[in-house]
Amino acid sequence: MTQHEASTDDANFLRIDHVSKWFGGADRHAGMQVIDDVSMTIEKGELAVFVGPSGCGKTTLMRIVGGLDQPTSGTVMLGGEAVKGPDRRKGVVFQSYSSFPWLNVLDNVKFGLRFRDGLSAREKDEIARHYVDLVGLVGFESFYVNKISGGMRQRLALARTLAADPDILLMDEPFGALDAQNREFLQVQLLDIRERERKTIVFVTHDVDEAVFLAERVFIFSARPATIIEEIRVSETLPAKRDLKVKDSEQFLHLRNRIQAVIRTQARRTEEEMLRVAARRR
Amino acid sequence: MSRNPGGEPGLWKRLFTLRSRLSRPTEIGLGVLAFVFLLAVWAIVVATSSIKPQYMPSLLSIGEALYSLFVDFNFAADIYISVVRVAIAFAIAAVMAIPIGILMGSYRVFGALGEPVIDLIRYLPVPALVPLTVIWLGIGEGSKIALLWMGTFFQLVLLIADDAKRVPQEYVETAYTLGAKQRHVLGLVILRSILPTMVDNLRITLGWCWSYVILAEIVASNEGIGQVIWASRRFGKTPEVMAGVLTIGLIGLLSDQLIRLASKKLFPYLR
Repeated sequence: MTQHEASTDDANFLRIDHVSKWFGGADRHAGMQVIDDVSMTIEKGELAVFVGPSGCGKTTLMRIVGGLDQPTSGTVMLGGEAVKGPDRRKGVVFQSYSSFPWLNVLDNVKFGLRFRDGLSAREKDEIARHYVDLVGLVGFESFYVNKISGGMRQRLALARTLAADPDILLMDEPFGALDAQNREFLQVQLLDIRERERKTIVFVTHDVDEAVFLAERVFIFSARPATIIEEIRVSETLPAKRDLKVKDSEQFLHLRNRIQAVIRTQARRTEEEMLRVAARRR
Repeated sequence: MSRNPGGEPGLWKRLFTLRSRLSRPTEIGLGVLAFVFLLAVWAIVVATSSIKPQYMPSLLSIGEALYSLFVDFNFAADIYISVVRVAIAFAIAAVMAIPIGILMGSYRVFGALGEPVIDLIRYLPVPALVPLTVIWLGIGEGSKIALLWMGTFFQLVLLIADDAKRVPQEYVETAYTLGAKQRHVLGLVILRSILPTMVDNLRITLGWCWSYVILAEIVASNEGIGQVIWASRRFGKTPEVMAGVLTIGLIGLLSDQLIRLASKKLFPYLR
């Protein structure tokens, strides 16, 4: 493989091609369209954030990338292969706490390792402990999930997903249920972990601050049905290595306000649309 | 006026506060109190009213009857045979209901096939099935086991199917994205996830199984607790009837507590 081919493969690592999604049949009367002809490419190792008003379809698009939902039309290619269903290559961290309550922290992290071939018990243990350490859960290995805090549960979900060694990490508002302090702490930690693990990440959020702080590239989604209104290369404005102080910088605030304004308009559109639907029903 | 201002509310207050917790000794004490109360009411009614002992024998005569059943009539053998009947029928029902229920709750095709039929059978009153089991299988052990099985299997399978359906979708999807295949999800996620409620359901249906064994033994049997109760009634021996009924209650209480204890040990993560 030549240098040139390798680099185009990396540039098109995730390729979303004219994806549309209808729920309940592709029909204006019976069904509801949630995604309208979205295309994008994401580079290998990139951290892309989908931001948009609640209920706009950004999570559905992420689920399609993860193979958890099927597009009504269009295709998703990951590393040159069509996405057909969920598997180990597409790791997902869900918004709700999805770790298994009957397993302790270490065994939760180990769960995905049992499906990987050619690992001895000792190697599995070492890998699991590495990721427990990476997310800062050392000392909590034997704790059951209901005995650790919400922030720790999401760190556990991250460790568990990373331990399975996915090609891409899909995160669906993973910090949405946490309080502000915990959320910021985990944002910083995520950037730190990414620095070390070099994973391609798609991060879904409706929190604009979070989007700007984390992203190399932000995709702003319209109200339902989702289209991409704008794509902003945050990495051109903000430094690659970020800490919380970035949030006070002028560039950050500028970007944040600009995105916020777009999303506000979209959120209003959603509300008006709901009112129209309600009026028609009456 | 509180005796410990600023501290824990007093016991009296805690007893009647919605959802407040009680210490283990307090709970056991209350349980014993209920028994004592029941026995006391019984004793007082027997001592003060003119109800004939034939209808309401004294506690002492019930105790004597129980003693004599064991010593003179080998009651232990009857208990044993009833326990064995319940154990066999219940084991068959559970071994069948667990996999079938999980499949019904996990694959719509099995759910759609099974639910209507099982729902219908589930509503057939078990006593109404006694003549059928006798016609089909005679009056031997087979017909008794079949009756108990029918009374438990159809209930249990639907309870397990419902539990399997309620396993959070996130668990299933998480497992897939960690590399699990369908067969792994069935065992490592769905079955594992419903285990605690399954043990609960087994405990409850085991109780129903006990009422059906008595029914089966009353109808057609030469041994077993139900037969002893029924035979005693025929001879007008009310204390023996009471002793038999009490025995069933005690066995139920014992097995229930054992399963609860096992459940606590098996599922430490629920605490």
